[in-house]
Amino acid sequence: MSSMKKDWWKWLGVFILTLVILIGLLVPLNPGITNVSPSNATSGTTISVSANGYNTFFTSAKNIRAWLKLAGDHALAAKSQEIISDNEIIFTFDLPSYLPVDQLYAETALVIDSDIDGAFVRPFALSINQKEVNVELGEQAWSSDKITDLSQTNHFRYPFRNILVETIRNTYFHVPLWFGMILLFLGSTIHSIQFLRKPNELSDQKAVGFVSTGVLFGILGLVTGAIWAKFTWGAFWSWDVKQNMSAICMLIYAAYFVLRQSMTDQDRRARVSAVYNLFAFMAMIPLLFVIPRLTESLHPGNGGNPALGGEDLDNTMRMIFYPAIIGWTLLGVWMAQLKWRTMRIESRLRE
Amino acid sequence: MNSILVLLHKEFTLEFRQKYAIGGVFLYVFSTVFIVYSAFIQIPTTVWNVQFWLIILFAAVNAFLKSFVSENSDKQLYLYQLVSPLAVIISKLIYNLLILLMITGLAFLTLVLLAGNPVRDAGLFFLTSIVGAAGISIAFTFIAAIASKGNNQATLMAILGFPVIIPILLTIMKLSANALGLIQDTAILSDLGILLGLDALLLSLTLLLFPFLWKD
Repeated sequence: MSSMKKDWWKWLGVFILTLVILIGLLVPLNPGITNVSPSNATSGTTISVSANGYNTFFTSAKNIRAWLKLAGDHALAAKSQEIISDNEIIFTFDLPSYLPVDQLYAETALVIDSDIDGAFVRPFALSINQKEVNVELGEQAWSSDKITDLSQTNHFRYPFRNILVETIRNTYFHVPLWFGMILLFLGSTIHSIQFLRKPNELSDQKAVGFVSTGVLFGILGLVTGAIWAKFTWGAFWSWDVKQNMSAICMLIYAAYFVLRQSMTDQDRRARVSAVYNLFAFMAMIPLLFVIPRLTESLHPGNGGNPALGGEDLDNTMRMIFYPAIIGWTLLGVWMAQLKWRTMRIESRLRE
Repeated sequence: MNSILVLLHKEFTLEFRQKYAIGGVFLYVFSTVFIVYSAFIQIPTTVWNVQFWLIILFAAVNAFLKSFVSENSDKQLYLYQLVSPLAVIISKLIYNLLILLMITGLAFLTLVLLAGNPVRDAGLFFLTSIVGAAGISIAFTFIAAIASKGNNQATLMAILGFPVIIPILLTIMKLSANALGLIQDTAILSDLGILLGLDALLLSLTLLLFPFLWKD
């Protein structure tokens, strides 16, 4: 029982991580639309639009409505619908002769509302062409239907994002692993500073433990990032600035171990590697947080892309994401502790 | 301040006494340029840019490697009792910067002689060379100080130095590509800012951490 009291944070870490993995992987996504065909239409025609739903239950829904939505309040309700299966539905629209815009085409979003699945949207679903512009008639035709009384659902679900789909769950692995890595490197830096202020073997061993675990987390962060990149950017390695700088950061920390190996005198090794560790941490900050922000990048939060947040990280996801950071970090500290304890035992055995 | 000047004087005296070291670096620059020129015959501007900075990078590694290695521990102990570690590192930094600026000038002249002068914006190129050379010399001086503590210094220098230098080198190459008219970029000022920021960061780290390295 005493170990339970002293090591409560380990149990907490394992508990949180178990929950994160279970809830993170098992909770389904919100319904969404994966595909709409056709993607082009001409004004003044009647068109059948087939939509493929994801996590939808069209056959058991009692009331399904659909609209084509333009910018502003303009919308057009579906005239009729034909349910093919739970995941496929065909809507028929009578497209008016004119669009309420002063150009020859407009992009519309498809909005579906079902009493079981709630409301969901496919942006840029159908682009409509018109032969001539008449804003006034277009305004009239597109103003009669309103998108109102959307169904409310209270499911615990993750958001459906077109580009991410199920990979949105990687938010609980990739992002917290990098957070954890930075915290572990920070811990290692603090122990190195302590060593330089007051040299002692334990501080050195703790610094090594934290760096080792940090590097492991960094490699896992790179791997999970590469898997995510394969799905969203199309390749495991896109030579994106964020990927390159993270890899360089791993090289800087890998050099830490080479440096340690190159010195036989223990005091000198501890001192020089503490100095290098401080240097590495300070070198890492511009690599990961300054340079990628200033150049073009595919990565969120860099090169003008929006960072974490908005619809990618809604309140449902926050409930898993923040504990995930704590869980991964606690696990990392535990692993670091095991590492420096092993080092301690090894050095005792040598004496 | 006085001790820095004395140490600088010592470095230069040593350098001119054993001319083979600095002469070797100059020969290295010349032969590298010559080999690349023979391989490419007509050197395109993109290659010119990369080659110029790679020559400087490798010349810097070779030249700085000896800045701490050549001093044996007895002499270091003697110096340690005479002057502060800050004076030692500042004199090394100034000396290495001067050497690297000389190498940069020489590499530029050799390249211009053999491959023509593609520089369009001389002011920007000059500025990039100075700020870039400062960054490279600060980073490699500190790395040389660390590497001198281990065995197999030449390998350590490369392993420790190259990852650290990559952000500086990428920024320099982008800026000098601008100066050569290879790319049109509006972010020149922010790039120069990054470069100066990296220089300042490396300089403050070096000054802060060297005293811990030096005591042995």
